[in-house]
Amino acid sequence: MNQQSTRQIINEIRGTRVVPGVCIVCPWHCPTEVFVRDNNVVYVRGNENAPNRTTRCVKGISSIHLSRDPDRLLHPMKKGKNGNFKVISWEDAFSVIAEKLQKIKEKYGPEAVAYLWHLDSNEVFSQQLFVQLYGTPNWSGHGAACDQSRRLAGLVTYGHPLPTKDYENSRFIMLWGEDPLGPNQSLHENRELVEAVKRNAKLVVVDPYRSRTAEKAHVWLPINPGTDGALALAMAHRIIETGAQDAEFCENYVYGFDAFAEHVKANGYTPQWAEGVTGIRAETIIELADEFAQTKPAVMDGLKGIVNYSNGFQALRAIFCLNAITGNIDGPGCLILKEAGPLLPPIEIPEEEIAVPERPNISTAMGYPLAPDIPSQLLPKAVLEGDPYPVRALFFHIVNPAMSDPNTLLFKRMMAELDLSVTIDVYMSETAQLSDIVLPEASMFERAEVRESLWSGPQVILSQPAIPCLGDSKPLYEIMKGLAQKMGFGRFFQWETWEDWAKYVTSFLPVSFEELKEKGVWQGELRYHKYREEGFQTSTGRAEVYSELLAESGYDPMPVYEEDHRVKPDSEYPFQLINAKMQNHCGTHTQNNPYLMEIESENWAEISVRDARELGISDGDRIELTSPIGSVTIAARVKEGLKPGIVRVLHGHGFGRTMGSIARGKGSHVNPIFDSQVNPVSGGIGYNECKVRVKKV
Amino acid sequence: MSQYGFYFDKEKCVGCRACEVACQVWNGSNQTVKWRNVTTLTRGQFPEITGVNVSMACMHCGDAPCKKACPRQAISKSEETGAVTVDQSKCVGCMLCLWACPFGAPKMSTKGRMEKCNFCQERPMGIKRACEEICPTQAIVSGLIDELANFSKKNVADRLSYTEGGGVVLGHEGT
Repeated sequence: MNQQSTRQIINEIRGTRVVPGVCIVCPWHCPTEVFVRDNNVVYVRGNENAPNRTTRCVKGISSIHLSRDPDRLLHPMKKGKNGNFKVISWEDAFSVIAEKLQKIKEKYGPEAVAYLWHLDSNEVFSQQLFVQLYGTPNWSGHGAACDQSRRLAGLVTYGHPLPTKDYENSRFIMLWGEDPLGPNQSLHENRELVEAVKRNAKLVVVDPYRSRTAEKAHVWLPINPGTDGALALAMAHRIIETGAQDAEFCENYVYGFDAFAEHVKANGYTPQWAEGVTGIRAETIIELADEFAQTKPAVMDGLKGIVNYSNGFQALRAIFCLNAITGNIDGPGCLILKEAGPLLPPIEIPEEEIAVPERPNISTAMGYPLAPDIPSQLLPKAVLEGDPYPVRALFFHIVNPAMSDPNTLLFKRMMAELDLSVTIDVYMSETAQLSDIVLPEASMFERAEVRESLWSGPQVILSQPAIPCLGDSKPLYEIMKGLAQKMGFGRFFQWETWEDWAKYVTSFLPVSFEELKEKGVWQGELRYHKYREEGFQTSTGRAEVYSELLAESGYDPMPVYEEDHRVKPDSEYPFQLINAKMQNHCGTHTQNNPYLMEIESENWAEISVRDARELGISDGDRIELTSPIGSVTIAARVKEGLKPGIVRVLHGHGFGRTMGSIARGKGSHVNPIFDSQVNPVSGGIGYNECKVRVKKV
Repeated sequence: MSQYGFYFDKEKCVGCRACEVACQVWNGSNQTVKWRNVTTLTRGQFPEITGVNVSMACMHCGDAPCKKACPRQAISKSEETGAVTVDQSKCVGCMLCLWACPFGAPKMSTKGRMEKCNFCQERPMGIKRACEEICPTQAIVSGLIDELANFSKKNVADRLSYTEGGGVVLGHEGT
């Protein structure tokens, strides 16, 4: 059980050398160690110098296939008039793109170009090129399809978009629509969560589905879909009614407590009221509220299961307010307002050279001024109708909205209308197939990256190329460099090797570059209670249960429960369709992995035992799901652990996946039946806002 | 003789199957079928449901039934580590070992011979096995059987140290 220098032992056994890396299969990017022999990746595990230690999730250990997948995209390609792709040189690809960008800028302005990306920190290069130099404000991550509402709730409540969790020291953990032990989150957090539960920290899981995390919970609350906000507000009502809040913390660090207390009372957010809304008994709500208020430290958080509803932002606000009024923030065992390491941008651009866009970004122009990322599901409106202003070119970097955004038909129509569409990816994704130009990117095993991790303290990961790039593929920073040269910005992108810029980026870290290269991570001190000296990064310097920012922007300053926008089942479409990630796949880019496909080769829809019996559906039957805008056929799985009245669909497969020989033809693409629902404040996509009827095929 | 083995904590296992793939990746060159498998079972009716996730390979039994059952003496037990391994050159693929094994550990390979967990035989004792090294929640632990028993006791003590109230614990803990 000794873990001392096991790197060396494995290297001796296998004749390998270790190259520290980072896993970018999912957004939690755990630090890794890549074992290489003769330019082949032989083994991969977690970085023993990092909090995740040597562990990998199933997708992480399987990702080794990415380093040798013959189906990878290997050459730049351009779509000809007949619709077929032809291989072109990088030189030609860069020239064609640069020329079109110049024309679009002249005719429509730089704002007519939008660049969409996933989670790669190398995106800082595209940010510098497209935003700072070319001048478009429309450069955006994939937040709308993801944690957009949580980020905004974190920002307005705590002044921090990405709070992490300190499970290790917690004694009461309540997770809402969040399944860290299923599709995974930071691996060190997962390990700490199960260890905390083993030490009898109370775990409460709110989810209509008995998730992997619910399996471990002391209390599982199968709530009515989309009603989490009512439960959270009722808990707040009980806490305030009994005076169980942390009065001292509220007095010193919370903004708007009295208004909030009045608000929950005046609106009648009582446990009795919530029972009728959520389907959870009032006594249970009271018990949990009392226990939560009395147990310290405690942590409450929510994620995808909540943010997929149009009222998810309000629900998360209510949950974050519960942490605030009980003083459970940024202390041991609480949500942590993570500090970042001191990293510099890789290239220096003099201030006078930085472009200032004339028009606001498209989120603001569309009426979502607080949206952290562009509501990508609304881009078709800009492209097809020129509303709020024309968008003529789209760049997609490792995002695949053709698979991941709702309303696939609308997305396809939009792609056909563009003057330029470019996809940068490691696979020929569905979005790539609809694009004019496809650029092959090097995988995470073939390129460098410097990034902040999602550990609670400051932690920087230096991922290094372990093997040469496959085919003609290039790392993103080289692609941006090549493009910048053709766009006339080559003077800013000057480096020989990745080490030149990586050294500069990490020059403020209190560690030598050589040591950072050897270890792969640098870790600073995890400081608690930072607000005591520095305040919260909100306009009032306090944790805001009454948000000044929301008030100024014309939204409810305090969390409300509303059902007006929510799509609910009716007699014609009697089931609520909810959407989930698979434990063994991530998004739309792991479906060509033989290890993962051996485990689950297609996606499915889950239905409760009771509903299945009524509809005559058995496990494995093909069923048809019909929403108001379309229908799809998919395999059924009958589950005890699902609340009746719900169909739970796993996404990521289907569309006749043409991205690779293993993915091809497996599973059902479900997004054509989702309409483009938007969270009215955050702009996030409402994937769970869908009603369906179910029929055995 | 020393006896090494696996400790498995069903309270920690989340059924993710990373251990299966870790075993495949590490032992890829001589593994044609999965040596380690995760089984997830649930029972009960909504909303009162219980369940378990179990990850199992070979238990490397002290008195291995597979070894006794093998008509070709293809299965041996290491004096040094207690690991039970199969000599593929002697195996004829009769599967009597599978009949004898209480855990279904022996698997028929695509080559018509029996294959099973070899306790990551290249790895020296004292470092983690591949499944254990990768397991996100560290539900799998390998080691000397005596050490594993003590490890388990330490876990219980750790849990009790968080229990508030009286110093005397009678019988089994509640949940």
